[in-house]
Amino acid sequence: MTVATAPSPAVTGSPASGPARRRRVLRWLLPMAPALVLLALFLAGPILWSVYIAFTNETLTGSASVHSQFVGFDNFARMFADPNFVNSFLLTFVFVIGSAVIGQNTLGLIIALLQRGRGRVTRSVVNGVVIGAWVMPEIVAAACWFSFLAEDGTLNKVLGISQEWLYTAPMLAVILANVWRGTAFSMLVYSAALSEVPPDLVEAAAVDGASPARRLLHITLPLIRRSIMSNLMLITLQTLASFGLIYALTGGGPGTASQTTPLYMYEQAFRYFEIGYGSAIALVMLVIGALFSLIYLRLIKVEDA
Amino acid sequence: MKRSLAGSLLVLTALTAAGCGSGATQEASGGAKELEVLYKVEPTWPHLENMLKNAKKQYESAHPGVTIKLTAVQGNNEAYYTKLALLNRSPDSAPDVYLHDTFQVNADVAAGKLAPLDEYLTTWPDWGTQYPDNVKQAAKGIDGKIYGVPISTDTRGLWYHKDVFAKAGLPVPWEPKTWNDVLTAARTIKQKVPDAVPFSMYSTKIHGEASTMQGFEMLLYGTPGGTLYDDAQKKWVAGGKNFTDALTFINTVYREELGPKQADAHNAKLADKVNLEWFPAGKIGISLDGAWTAAAWKPTSTKPWAAWQEKVGWTAMPTQNGEAPGSVSMSGGWVMAMSSYTKLKKEAFDFIAVATNKENSLMYSVSTGDLAPRKDVAADPKYTADNPSVKFFTDLAEVTHYRPAYEAYPKVSAQLQEAMEAVTTGSRTPEEATAAYAKALPAAVGGPDKVLAR
Repeated sequence: MTVATAPSPAVTGSPASGPARRRRVLRWLLPMAPALVLLALFLAGPILWSVYIAFTNETLTGSASVHSQFVGFDNFARMFADPNFVNSFLLTFVFVIGSAVIGQNTLGLIIALLQRGRGRVTRSVVNGVVIGAWVMPEIVAAACWFSFLAEDGTLNKVLGISQEWLYTAPMLAVILANVWRGTAFSMLVYSAALSEVPPDLVEAAAVDGASPARRLLHITLPLIRRSIMSNLMLITLQTLASFGLIYALTGGGPGTASQTTPLYMYEQAFRYFEIGYGSAIALVMLVIGALFSLIYLRLIKVEDA
Repeated sequence: MKRSLAGSLLVLTALTAAGCGSGATQEASGGAKELEVLYKVEPTWPHLENMLKNAKKQYESAHPGVTIKLTAVQGNNEAYYTKLALLNRSPDSAPDVYLHDTFQVNADVAAGKLAPLDEYLTTWPDWGTQYPDNVKQAAKGIDGKIYGVPISTDTRGLWYHKDVFAKAGLPVPWEPKTWNDVLTAARTIKQKVPDAVPFSMYSTKIHGEASTMQGFEMLLYGTPGGTLYDDAQKKWVAGGKNFTDALTFINTVYREELGPKQADAHNAKLADKVNLEWFPAGKIGISLDGAWTAAAWKPTSTKPWAAWQEKVGWTAMPTQNGEAPGSVSMSGGWVMAMSSYTKLKKEAFDFIAVATNKENSLMYSVSTGDLAPRKDVAADPKYTADNPSVKFFTDLAEVTHYRPAYEAYPKVSAQLQEAMEAVTTGSRTPEEATAAYAKALPAAVGGPDKVLAR
């Protein structure tokens, strides 16, 4: 899962001659070609269309659905003035930090660390349980958590109390559910990364008298730092766009208490039929996702420098 | 992002058992014609499906060479509206004939998605003889043309549990004269019968149009001069005291904990809980709901409750302070409509005529408890036989109001749900919610010149 650092091209020095440059472009383009062709073939139309309608008042029904008008940046102005959008944005931030960056990431790392050097049986049981949650369809996972947290659900029965978790603590509920479901990915990434850490290095440190905590902090973590960054980037992007789990668990409610931006976008686009406005929100989310990726990529580069 | 858009579509399609890839008219091999009919179905609401299956049988035997393809949308009304709007985006996927809620008709007329039926209706004798004039208006476009044949109409009122009332020491039959009478009864029930939900109404976004119509409009149109739309000035009314009063009623219900618990108020299946669980178990006092409610207990229901005729009472929703005419009701309904994209217009209309003939309309009305739009069905003894509440709710037509179902109405309705949900959860006071509505209204109806400040 490590991101291979691109061989730094010789940009300095004399300007490359024609064929050499062509070869370099080719080397850069060739690995991307299959993805580009597929994108262009199936998605270019929809992507361009959704970018275009983000600047119109297009709706799914009504006269604006046949005579939509170009409205410039109106949708974006409306978005940033809309307290519901701002609210959804903050909730998305809480959701990403809580469930991905802190929850899945840390838990995945801890499970991977604990699994080192355990017997095969332990490993397969733990892996089976954790990955089971991951391969489960989103809606099924949501149904499980619903019956766990519902008023007459398992949690209340075990604790012997009556508490409407999904209504008193909706964000906590969806964050926990997402941590439960998504930890497997981080765990797999870290298991792979940890197996690359040379055992003799750790042993040498142990012989020198370094405590387990120090060995982790000064040897293991620095060695897997690039995996950490790429893992963070991937789970951030996944979580940013997470929809089904929250939709099925709380529907964004009560009120707008767990309405993250994808849910808000869905409501605007498909409940209230404002597909133009919904697409504008989608564009903003795309930009935010790109910003996150840039930051992570930057961090990886800084580490490498 | 794309992923979540696709995800949401997946959710919808996953809910839809039947695939509906290529909808519209298909010329199958051998020149056979196919008409696709879109409708909604829920596990506890199989009634329309039963009726359409019957109509399909009748139609296909009378019209050899034409096949009816029934495509069901699994889910509540909100899921149905979304699915229909998406399918209607393209002539290739649009169904030929579909069930349509009257409040959405004008938006689709403006979008050119519906075909006017006038030229076919003039050749259909039933239209002239069996449909009362006010019922014919149900799906009338702003252009004056008719865009759908009604399959149901409705009124709304209060349903109450006689045993719960007796336990609380309240009189039966119950005839509240003001909003305060309703709230007082609910408070008494809360005090004397603590294990019953005193008063249930729809007031959250998840119930969509049911919240707007069964909830908010039943209150607003019962205030003096309360309306969403000023017909004289042709403008949408931005809030005002009536509006705040209606929200205050809802706020009182939830702040004093007279309503369902928050979890239930936000549960998409609230209606099933109220009608299939709480009423039979004697765990609810009063429910503000539609004329069709009794269908949940009739033998045609998925969970019949034989004792309902003795246990349940019904009465009209009073006006705010008992102002004339003393009670209030709202009416809407559903129609069968024809797509403007269908190539088989004659065949499509013929199917609508079969689906809404006396036999099928009767079958539908008896099982759903909806009020019958046809005179011959309303006069049929089978229609009233099993349901003593029908006459009462039919008579509510005298005090009923219709929604201002113009093109902007669905957007206005969305804003109303926003306001109701805010006072249900308590995130806004009634005054704040009214102010937010007034602020959002111009954008919803297409400009400040279409809004009347109050």
